[in-house]
Amino acid sequence: MSGQGYAPPTRDLSTLNYEKPVTYSCGDCASKVQLKRGDPIRCLQCGHRVLYKERTTRMVQFEAR
Amino acid sequence: MAPPPARMSTKTATKMTTKTGTDTQWSTGFNTVRRQKLFSNPPTDHTAYPMLAAAIEPHVHSFNAIFEPNGLLEKGLKDIGTKVFLDGDPRADPADAPQRNALSVRIREVILQKPQIPPSNKFNVRHREILPSECRERHSSYRGKLTARLEYKVNNGPWKEAPREIGQMPIMLRSNRCHLQNMSPAELVLHKEESEELGGYFIMNGNEKLIRMLVVGRRNFPMAIIRPSFVNRGNTYTKFGIQIRSVRPDQTSQTNVLHYLNDGNVMFRFSWRKNEYLVPVIMILKALAQTNDKEIFEGIVAQAGTKGLDQKQFAIDRVEVLLRTYKAYNLHGKANTRRYLGQRFKVVLQAPENMSDEDAGTEFLRKIVLPHLGSHNVSVNEDLDKFKLLLFMIRKLYALAAGDCAVDNPDAVSNHEILLGGFLYGMILKENLEDWVNSIRMQILEWGRMNNWPLFTSPQFEKDFITQIMRRTNENIGNKLEYFLSTGNLVSSSGLDLQQVSGYTVVAEKINFFRFISHFRMVHRGSFFAQLKTTTVRKLLPESWGFLCPVHTPDGSPCGLLNHLSHQCKIATHNVDVTKIPQLVTQLGVKSSSLAMVSDSVTVQLDGRVLGFCTPKQALTIHDTLRYWKVEGGHDVPLELEIGYIPNSNGGQYPGVYMFSQAARMYRPVKYLPLGKLDYVGPFEQPFMSISVTEPEIVSGESTHVEFDPTHILSIVANQTPFSDFNQSPRNMYQCQMGKQTMGTPGTATRYRTDNKSYRLQTGQTPIVRSSLYNDYGLDNFPQGTNVVVAVISYTGYDMDDAMIINKSVHERGFGHGTIYKTMKIDLAEATRGRSSKNVTKLFGFAPKGLAKAEWKKAVDDDGLPMVGQRIEKDTVIAVSHTVTLDPLTGQYVNRDGETDVHKYKDEEVAYVEEVRLIGSEDGNMPLQAISIKFRIPRAPVIGDKFSSRHGQKGVCSQKWPAIDMPFTESGMQPDVIINPHAFPSRMTIGMFVESLAGKSGALHGMAQDSTPFKFDEKDTAVDYFGHQLKKAGYNYYGNEPMYSGITGEELAADIYIGLVYYQRLRHMVNDKYQVRTTGHNNRLTGQPIKGRKKGGGIRVGEMERDALIAHGTAFLLQDRLMNCSDYTKAWICKSCGSFLATLPLPVGFGKKRSGQEQRNARCRRCATKALGWEPMGDIWEDGTGERFVGGDNVAVVAVPGVLKYLDVELAAMGIKMKFKVEP
Repeated sequence: MSGQGYAPPTRDLSTLNYEKPVTYSCGDCASKVQLKRGDPIRCLQCGHRVLYKERTTRMVQFEAR
Repeated sequence: MAPPPARMSTKTATKMTTKTGTDTQWSTGFNTVRRQKLFSNPPTDHTAYPMLAAAIEPHVHSFNAIFEPNGLLEKGLKDIGTKVFLDGDPRADPADAPQRNALSVRIREVILQKPQIPPSNKFNVRHREILPSECRERHSSYRGKLTARLEYKVNNGPWKEAPREIGQMPIMLRSNRCHLQNMSPAELVLHKEESEELGGYFIMNGNEKLIRMLVVGRRNFPMAIIRPSFVNRGNTYTKFGIQIRSVRPDQTSQTNVLHYLNDGNVMFRFSWRKNEYLVPVIMILKALAQTNDKEIFEGIVAQAGTKGLDQKQFAIDRVEVLLRTYKAYNLHGKANTRRYLGQRFKVVLQAPENMSDEDAGTEFLRKIVLPHLGSHNVSVNEDLDKFKLLLFMIRKLYALAAGDCAVDNPDAVSNHEILLGGFLYGMILKENLEDWVNSIRMQILEWGRMNNWPLFTSPQFEKDFITQIMRRTNENIGNKLEYFLSTGNLVSSSGLDLQQVSGYTVVAEKINFFRFISHFRMVHRGSFFAQLKTTTVRKLLPESWGFLCPVHTPDGSPCGLLNHLSHQCKIATHNVDVTKIPQLVTQLGVKSSSLAMVSDSVTVQLDGRVLGFCTPKQALTIHDTLRYWKVEGGHDVPLELEIGYIPNSNGGQYPGVYMFSQAARMYRPVKYLPLGKLDYVGPFEQPFMSISVTEPEIVSGESTHVEFDPTHILSIVANQTPFSDFNQSPRNMYQCQMGKQTMGTPGTATRYRTDNKSYRLQTGQTPIVRSSLYNDYGLDNFPQGTNVVVAVISYTGYDMDDAMIINKSVHERGFGHGTIYKTMKIDLAEATRGRSSKNVTKLFGFAPKGLAKAEWKKAVDDDGLPMVGQRIEKDTVIAVSHTVTLDPLTGQYVNRDGETDVHKYKDEEVAYVEEVRLIGSEDGNMPLQAISIKFRIPRAPVIGDKFSSRHGQKGVCSQKWPAIDMPFTESGMQPDVIINPHAFPSRMTIGMFVESLAGKSGALHGMAQDSTPFKFDEKDTAVDYFGHQLKKAGYNYYGNEPMYSGITGEELAADIYIGLVYYQRLRHMVNDKYQVRTTGHNNRLTGQPIKGRKKGGGIRVGEMERDALIAHGTAFLLQDRLMNCSDYTKAWICKSCGSFLATLPLPVGFGKKRSGQEQRNARCRRCATKALGWEPMGDIWEDGTGERFVGGDNVAVVAVPGVLKYLDVELAAMGIKMKFKVEP
């Protein structure tokens, strides 16, 4: 793709909300933690330092063979 | 026929202990309900599998010994003692320098805290401890804060204290500095551990590391050695020597060697800080005690006029030489000799400058000469002990030189002990502490030089000592320990009396449980011996009986060097109390002086201390009495004491009674017959004892002990091979290897683990046929295989050469279905690690206002991290990040370039995102800098995957045969697996046949079968026992059955041997191994295909393959492999001069010839001549710079290997011309 001139944006930028918080679950107390980009990584309840990403709610589909 | 009684008891063994609490007694049975209950409700009191915990005890207890009260570290600090430094310019003339002040520094105490989050983290409200599970998940190290209480004083002032933080020290799991130490299985599960978490290892950067056990020489025992290399030490040196590995209370050791010289002289050799020194032994004797030549003579030979002196002319002559030659030194008296020694060794010992020579000599004796007999505040009696032992050593050396006694075998287990991980760790810690204190000297000099030599009494020193001097020393001792654990390299100023510098630690791989537990039972002989060309060190010696497993050693390069402890072999981690022994021995008639002949008086020693001498007859009595007392438990003789009685013999091992009570010894339980009670036996005493293996073997009047069970000689893994006594022995070795490569169940806490690669068998079963120890070690928590119906039949033609056929339906039901988990860490800070790492320069997520391709968003969420559950293929983007800078105004991270960096999944194989972990910093105040992604790769068995039974019978799946085409028995059973009958005749794995029988009858009767080896004999055969069970179930007694062809339905001509065998799926899978190439990357220099599976390289057709192809006459194939598919190149060559290098292509526009002639667009520059101007236009050509030439057109294109041209260039560079004759 390098040096081939103008490439149109593939997605409408307005749909991407970078400051939208994403929910994670705490590795210690399992409480839900909402974090934005640049937030320090720790559980707001217990201060634990490992968070798990939750399973996606988006449809996961693939050919299961 | 009645089954043997031993097996009867197993059926009735599900009894509860009288105490309430978790039952720890196990039977061979399935125990399904009990196991289920243990699983759903882990015990809250103690583990149900104490034998498992006992297996790793040496590791944990040796670590505990470091920090416990009066532990190794405390003793080590005593040994370090007080260091004294002087002020003033050391190079100044002593005459005009003032009296120098002395600064004394000592370490009072070293404290190791349990792992905790640093005080800078203000966010944790609930608990501040760091648990091991967090370290695994965060890929960090499990370590605690190490603090030293440093004390110092100037001259004779009061001691002042300065607590110093000396780094973070890695902590062994389940040790006394670990949070998990006393947790019950229930609590362990709560803290994200296995219910049977054993500990014994460290966590370094998320990996589990352990210090492996190392075989070292037996401590405090003067060993007679013959080494031809001793002769090279110097003139008159001989091959004879006496070596003693003297161990201090803090477990550090100092090896002392006595050398025998041709003229009868004896030299004392030691090595200190990697340098070797030699001292006449008489000098050391005279420095140790106020003595005279008569006393020395009497100590080495005997008193004048006593019995047997006339037969000791050999020793008498040599002692005379010994004493006479020493006269040359003209040193008299203890003080003078010490002064002489002190003068010479003061600098070497790093003694304080203000120490007197005599004190330095005393220090020399304390630190170097037999320190096991006194290494702190050495008393006169302790020096006397050293004196006596040295005399004994000289005595033994003369006996060795005279041929009166044999050499001690340095490769036999009887002369070995085990250097435990904790002890080694403690030694390294102690040495680093000592180096740290010594390093103050350099900093004081530096400080003095910078500040014009202020005095220690000045206020400036008081101000600067901590801030300027101590701060400048390298106080991060924890870092050094971390380096040791993560690399296994020993960085040491003294070498720690060890023979290797690397390979001390290994990763405790959790491929399956056998692999994992084997790491903790593994003893290594040392990498020094791996390079040895001789095989003597690798031999299995009878002395190893019961201590090292004869079966469980790998074949190949580490064979015999990497052994495993027998499952009942223990290792002492603490010294036992032997304070009463000297008194008891004296009461039994031991005298302090000896007679000349060994046949008249032998030595009695305790931990390398000479207690005295007695007659050989008395020695036997002492041994028998002490042994009776120690088993009985009276008279303060500890049970773990090792009483090595070496009887008098004709030129055999030097006789005497040698007792050992200290740590690092191996010992094992046997039954003492006179009392019918448990006795512990060590490897030193064992060769001279009569221990019968089974009860019927007991010889009245000779046997003193009997084994509890013959299986005690086998390791944990070797014990799991069913009916191993029926197999040819190498097959059992192979099974020990393959058991450790099986895809099994590494544990139940897989959710909280981040192993780089981990294998898992989805459909593990408990084996029907198992040994009695299977449940004792709780192996049902970690199933490793599947019971399958195996028919031994040549049926399809796809089962030749160890291939096996799997029934397709069985495959569909999940036989051998496995999964691989791979963990990948994406660390944004890693790239910028070099510079100040505190600054955040990158963040996860799409760059705001940047381009975000839809293709990137396939697996990546809005936060820039992969979506959990997503299917990932090669080159899928799994995470995105962008660069940021901190905006000081808003405190926000802003992206300026709008560019998004992508992180791709690089593997060929399809995977699924199983877990995504966001790793926060320890302080809890950093934005996301690292994530850990766990991928799941499903691995259903495919053709080419490797399977094995438990008898070293491995095979590769060659077909998945449709169930309808499989043969079937009269009852309609189909085999799950078909193996070829040819797998048996040469390998003689009869155990597999017996397992098949036992499995079949076990499945029919619904019971577990005991497969413990050595339970059957010729009169009561296994075939008969299981045959009857089969008969009772209505099956053929011999396990054969008539079978029918699945294709034609006809009965097969022969009856087929069919039964149930436990099959393991091995981790070697074709998907990790297949390699194929048509075209791809080539080496840039040679043009040949690259190697390596990962890079899509080829497999080399080497010289031998080439030879084979030539022999076959397959010239076309040869041409294809070596030329066309390799570095085929077309090159211009000059036919006239035969050179590749002189041809050059013509620039565009030249070389177009008249029609009809072939096109030539190159010329030989070498054959061409400069154009003079009048040549025909068509003949003139121009080179790239515009110069004009004629001629040189006799060139042609040839196909040559690319390397040929390269060779030509290389040779030309050396001034060698290659000329090719081109025809026609």
